[in-house]
Amino acid sequence: MDRWFPVARSEEVRPGHVFQTSLLGQEIAVWRGRSGAVNAWENRCPHRGVRLSIGEQIENELRCRYHGWRFASGSGQCTHIPSHPTQKPGAALCATAYSSTERYGYVWASLQPRDDVPSLPPEGSVAVAVTPPVEGAITTLRSVYVAASLEAVAERLLLGRVARLDAYTLVTEAYDTAGVDDAAVANIDSVYWLLQPLEPCATVIHGLVGKLIPAAQRLAGLRAYNARLIGVRDAVELAR
Amino acid sequence: MSAVESILWDDWHVVAELARLRRDGRIATTLLGQALILQLDSSEGGIEVLRKRSTADGYESVGASAERYGFLWVCLGTPRRPIVEFAECAEPERLTASAGSVRVAVSGLRAVENFLDLSHLAFVHEGYLGEQPHTEIQAYAVEPLADGGIIATGCRVYQPKASPVAAAGFDVDYIYAVLRPYVVVLYKANPVEPQRKDMIALLVQPVTEETCIAHMLTCYLPHDAEPGAIRRFQQFIFGQDRPILENQLPKRLPLSPRAEISVRADKSSAAYRRYLATAGVRYGAIAET
Repeated sequence: MDRWFPVARSEEVRPGHVFQTSLLGQEIAVWRGRSGAVNAWENRCPHRGVRLSIGEQIENELRCRYHGWRFASGSGQCTHIPSHPTQKPGAALCATAYSSTERYGYVWASLQPRDDVPSLPPEGSVAVAVTPPVEGAITTLRSVYVAASLEAVAERLLLGRVARLDAYTLVTEAYDTAGVDDAAVANIDSVYWLLQPLEPCATVIHGLVGKLIPAAQRLAGLRAYNARLIGVRDAVELAR
Repeated sequence: MSAVESILWDDWHVVAELARLRRDGRIATTLLGQALILQLDSSEGGIEVLRKRSTADGYESVGASAERYGFLWVCLGTPRRPIVEFAECAEPERLTASAGSVRVAVSGLRAVENFLDLSHLAFVHEGYLGEQPHTEIQAYAVEPLADGGIIATGCRVYQPKASPVAAAGFDVDYIYAVLRPYVVVLYKANPVEPQRKDMIALLVQPVTEETCIAHMLTCYLPHDAEPGAIRRFQQFIFGQDRPILENQLPKRLPLSPRAEISVRADKSSAAYRRYLATAGVRYGAIAET
């Protein structure tokens, strides 16, 4: 699938922590080097297949837990093999690095190489009048895991006043406040629902609100959205 | 049922520690995907091994079972050769003991390969079986064994605490031998008498292709080591390996030399994979395509 997918919230990918997720059945290790650049790698060391997500970030490198092989942020190039410390690893010896970038408060990855940037609304999406999010004027919600297919999740979301921009992107314009007794979520410009297909029956809903929720209302707003997303999750999982 | 290749189906495998079976009276386990019941035969003091019928309800007897080295061994097919031989266990002064059994969610072949591996010691067992910066692996020799299997000699690793009785670090000489696809043994210099060797065998029970039970057999020289300490030490060490093994992807062992990158230090691992491929071992492996 040649497109960008959100795979983690930027704020969750901090130096020192290797984040594990997956995309279309492929496990991914997401981590940030000391330089600040994010990486989305196949979650296995090319040597003996151990998950890199149990590895350790050291400066601008990721060190495998099993034999201490080190791989450079960016290229995935192996830089050090402790069992042969004086030899320089060959240029072909690399962790598999997928295309990755950051935008709208998310880390995005693509299993196919890409040199463009992710955009919202996505290119080629259906003609619905939506407000594009503005970098810096965004609130990202807690991402919610749902043990169901992407289609089941999308169908449930579409029961609200939601438009589907493409297979993986939905948007709520003028949030439906009926039943939500909370001013914090009213008058929202737009909320994007970005679906990350983990596996055939596992999906993550990433929610992106197209404005900065004022500090005084932020906690209540995040809680209200989270309750709605949990409601969606429970309804989809119970319907299976 | 027997889609499993003869080299495994018609061989002996450990299915339980005898001490545990005598304590519990009855154990349900699985060997090569075949559900088994092991139980004490109250009338004769023997042990009965039953397998679940494939075509009807209930259980039937398994042809061959035997008690050896403190473990119960089973052959599901027709034994083509005897139970693997450990000559050291016959030496009366040595302390032969089971060091326990650990279930691991990975192919048993991955567990055997990890047991052979020298270069993980300084990382996974740091402070015990290895230590940074002593990570370099010197060249060692690997040769085939006449009865099948491989032997690695001249292996040398600096170890801060090589055994329960080791007081200080020293360079430890190792010999490793893969005797059967799922049986591997190591001989390492004794900390008190470095010219003689202690023995540790890993007898791996293939439960399914992606799960195993690693049974540990130790045969130590008698210097101060008491069975409880050996058992605790081995279980502690294996407890460090287990989370590594359970994070290997894929869970089965790929036999193609192109599937995973090897370096010189992986000589025994590469030879093990070649041996498995040549011997036609498929259960727990990803065959070369």
